[in-house]
Amino acid sequence: MPSSEAHRAVAFALVLLSTSTFGTPSEAQQSPQVPEGFALERFYPSAPGGGWFVMDALETRGGPGGAMALNVGYARNPLRVTDGSQHVAVVTDQAFADFGVAATYDRWRLSLNLSMPLTTQGPSTTTVGAYEFHGPSVDLGSNPDTLSDARIGVDGRLLGDADTRFRLGASAQLFAPKGTRNVDGAVRHQDYDTDGTFRAMLRALAAGDVSRFTYAAQLGVHIRPLDDSPVPGSPEGSELLFGAAAGAKMPIRPGSKLNVIVGPEAYGATAFRSFLATTRTALEALLTGRLEDTADTGPQLRLKLGAGAGISQHFGAPEWRLVLAIEVFDHIRTARQEPSAVTVSSPGP
Amino acid sequence: MNLLTQHRLHDLYDESWNAYGQFTYISSWKLPFYAPYTNTNGSVNSLVPDAERSFTGTFTLFFGLRLWRGGEAYLAPEVIAERPLSGLHGIGSAIQNFELQKQGSETPQIYRSRFYLRQTIGIGGSRVEKTSDPLQLATVVDARRLVVTAGNFTVLDVFDRNNVTWDPRQSFLNMAFMTHAAWDFAADARGYSWGAAVEAYWDDWALRVGRMAPPLYPNVLQLDFQIDKHYGDELELEHDHELLGQPGAVRILAYRNQEVTGRFDEAIAAYQADPTHKNAAAAPPPPVGYGSGNFTAPDVYWVRRLNTKVGVGINLEQYVAPNIGVFLRGMYSDGQTEVDAFDPADRSFTYGAVGKGSLWHRPFDLAGLGYGMAWISKEHADYLRMGGVDGFIGDGGLRQAPETIIELFYSVNFLKAIWLTADYQRMWNPGFNADRGPVDIVSGRVHAEF
Repeated sequence: MPSSEAHRAVAFALVLLSTSTFGTPSEAQQSPQVPEGFALERFYPSAPGGGWFVMDALETRGGPGGAMALNVGYARNPLRVTDGSQHVAVVTDQAFADFGVAATYDRWRLSLNLSMPLTTQGPSTTTVGAYEFHGPSVDLGSNPDTLSDARIGVDGRLLGDADTRFRLGASAQLFAPKGTRNVDGAVRHQDYDTDGTFRAMLRALAAGDVSRFTYAAQLGVHIRPLDDSPVPGSPEGSELLFGAAAGAKMPIRPGSKLNVIVGPEAYGATAFRSFLATTRTALEALLTGRLEDTADTGPQLRLKLGAGAGISQHFGAPEWRLVLAIEVFDHIRTARQEPSAVTVSSPGP
Repeated sequence: MNLLTQHRLHDLYDESWNAYGQFTYISSWKLPFYAPYTNTNGSVNSLVPDAERSFTGTFTLFFGLRLWRGGEAYLAPEVIAERPLSGLHGIGSAIQNFELQKQGSETPQIYRSRFYLRQTIGIGGSRVEKTSDPLQLATVVDARRLVVTAGNFTVLDVFDRNNVTWDPRQSFLNMAFMTHAAWDFAADARGYSWGAAVEAYWDDWALRVGRMAPPLYPNVLQLDFQIDKHYGDELELEHDHELLGQPGAVRILAYRNQEVTGRFDEAIAAYQADPTHKNAAAAPPPPVGYGSGNFTAPDVYWVRRLNTKVGVGINLEQYVAPNIGVFLRGMYSDGQTEVDAFDPADRSFTYGAVGKGSLWHRPFDLAGLGYGMAWISKEHADYLRMGGVDGFIGDGGLRQAPETIIELFYSVNFLKAIWLTADYQRMWNPGFNADRGPVDIVSGRVHAEF
């Protein structure tokens, strides 16, 4: 046997030995999987003029009008994953700005929300079970002009007037995807700002005012094509949306058209596929306060502040969150317009 | 907003919000031109001498929101699709379409062009009416006031304004007339950045100072937020006046960039000391390097370090009749370092006139004639002559000459909100190279505002 052939034979034998002794092709495939990114943010600000941070007060009224809103917020540890034995934060810090604009008429509203990530940060590599998460590294330097998924919505009050005890409405929103799930098409790190697909939310909305007490609630479906199960913390397809808010409306002084509304707002989502399973359900609550002038005597304004924590810190609910917002809105006064909201702030029932 | 106001849906004189939009499509055809050499010795930055077509399409929404007394927030999402001539290579200062961005693509890209806060603090004096416009809420301000702008905007939103050349989407197409070609203002690849500016208005005087974040590497989208170490600073003094009853203004602008760039003389010295390793072909590929394949040329990549670039310029505007204005801009920069954010010109000079069609009873039509020249420094020319390239130019050889442009346009208005423009440009010495050109470019533009 020529020496070169002998060498090849020895090498072949060594390869066989090594694959049988130290590993098989199937074992080689068990190297950690790298999940792709997705739209992590679960704080969906209400349409401009909506009143609450997430819920909708259903107070749209009057002739043709418009509204604008600017929300800014910060969330700590919005994506923590677990394999049952360990809990690890994949995204540790997330700050955003969301700008919304709406056109209103009577009880209807057409809106556009543009969300802008200011920073999204996480550890570069985190291994949980069979998965190796590559955390995001989004900041204004690397992404100086990024817009996330745009949200186009239409909603309306179907039952009740703007200040009645019970109002019922409906909302449909479409998310237009922006960008891809993987940065530069490579799985080095993920931005966690888009599913890369169209999504939609259909919600039933309820709200009302009873003397100084005001409330709002929602129940709906988030139609989400993305299903990355069983990757921990990832979307599992369509979700049920729920939430409620309640507060007391207090004039800053008797007869003033300025009111302060203080109250809690809780909201969340759960995947239909793992309905109400602990790790597939997000639930968080904010204590909110807002100063508002919704009287029909001029342009209307809301300044909002909210702080809260994740009650079920899974599936995108953060450890804690802080949000600030401003809304301005106005409409043409019509002859058949409903009574002004200022009446609520007048003393006495 | 006018329509809403006409229907009494909006107060156009004291706005709490406004919203505007624009659409602009520009198509340019470059005719074949004479060039004895193109991209010689592996260079990659020549303007191709064959016929080419370029286009840009932009769609922008402008939102303004009053936050509190004197406080305003502005947001402008934008979509752009583009195809430059020769990959945006080969032209130094007179790029035929101001909308073109580095790293653009024919696939529409959506991004946030502006997102900033502005705070106005009144000090007194007479009252000045600010009319409702994109990125301007209608209000009345003091003639003496401080204005602080902070966030994501372009430095051109604050500095080097000119009421004659005005909005380039209605005026000249060529980038040479948008601002000083020699002003290498800090910006990302689209022309925007993050930073802050303070303006002090005192009747007819205005003093502006600003600091913006530069790109992480020359001519890339990523920004360097170490704004205490790397930055572009601007200082501008403006005086408004009336001459023979017509308004005018004089602006003196100085800038100082402190950025990581390469000096031309050091690049040449590095190449001469070690031609095997410090040549252009050995530099990294884009976006860090410039992608040249020239083994016998220097490259600024090898000598990039913290450098300072300075320049000073003048900007004049003067109306000579109610609807006819003339303008002049000139700037001198030191020309020792590579282009970091705008274009490669080291000195520039432009002048021209813009008139409205009032004389022939079409007051919303616009016509303009402009002339511009730009130069590069001796060190810059030496570098290009040896085959070096930068972000835009480098034919592999050079016979130095000023890049010169003349532009003539006429815009026809329809329905007060749509303009159709016919435009002709002739450019001499593209890429500051007398061996090439002249180049003829004809363009058409559709612009709509709502």
